[in-house]
Amino acid sequence: MKKFARRRGVASTRLSGYEVELLTSLVSQLVELVAEGEPEQYAAPADGEDPFERLARDLRSDPDEPEVSEDPVVRRLFPNAYPHDAAASSDFRRFTERDLRSKKVADAQVVLRGLAETEQGSRELRIAPADGEAWLRTLTAVRLAVATRLGITDTESAEELADLPDEDPRSFMVSVYDWLGFAQETLISAL
Amino acid sequence: MPDSEGGSVTPAGGTAVVERPAEQTTPLTPWVTIVWDDPVNLMSYVTHVFVTYFHYSATKATKLMMQVHEDGKAVVSSGSREEMERDVNAMHEYGLWATMDKADA
Repeated sequence: MKKFARRRGVASTRLSGYEVELLTSLVSQLVELVAEGEPEQYAAPADGEDPFERLARDLRSDPDEPEVSEDPVVRRLFPNAYPHDAAASSDFRRFTERDLRSKKVADAQVVLRGLAETEQGSRELRIAPADGEAWLRTLTAVRLAVATRLGITDTESAEELADLPDEDPRSFMVSVYDWLGFAQETLISAL
Repeated sequence: MPDSEGGSVTPAGGTAVVERPAEQTTPLTPWVTIVWDDPVNLMSYVTHVFVTYFHYSATKATKLMMQVHEDGKAVVSSGSREEMERDVNAMHEYGLWATMDKADA
């Protein structure tokens, strides 16, 4: 891809069919992960939904349900708010995590829609100002997921991966990670 | 509590407006939102989030971002516990690694 350019407030670039397919796949995996395999549960944005229905549904769910995930990617996307207070952290999760998951799914759907509109890269990718934040947040979430799977935990491990030989099995994901960083960096300057 | 004469039963003046405890509005022990350094988030993105969400000037946002980058963390906002929970939640929306703590801790 070329870097994003800004024209009349719209950030645009061209992606190859392969890049569209790859990013679509990564964002779809993110949705699966964040929505725990039930995206329709999280798909509807809060507005329009009867608040009472929502409350009733939340009360039906096990109050102890939002526990800390064993998946390091999920842990990174939904960090503990109170690192020294497990009870307060758990309360915080109970009150915020469902909304946070819904927002991440809604953001990801903006991205999937934008990618679909390129028709496998035959049309320009155009990101309207109103969609910019959703794109940035989603690219961030995908980068965090890829980085966690690659074991990037600090500056040293990040630098180590930058120097991998081509034959290393991780080098493909590293190139994807770099590509995502490039997309995000140039999108920020174009917005 | 004065009762309204003449029929219509209105929950008289005192419709149990629960007084908010004083510390919620003028916190005696304010809370802070801390953003931690991570090897993934781009410097430009962290600055962008501070400008977009907190409406900080580019100068202040960049300074805070550099503090996160160099010191490993920075206090990015302070206030009541409720306000800080909102800020921490927003930082998590943006994918930043944020926690909250008592200001004096």
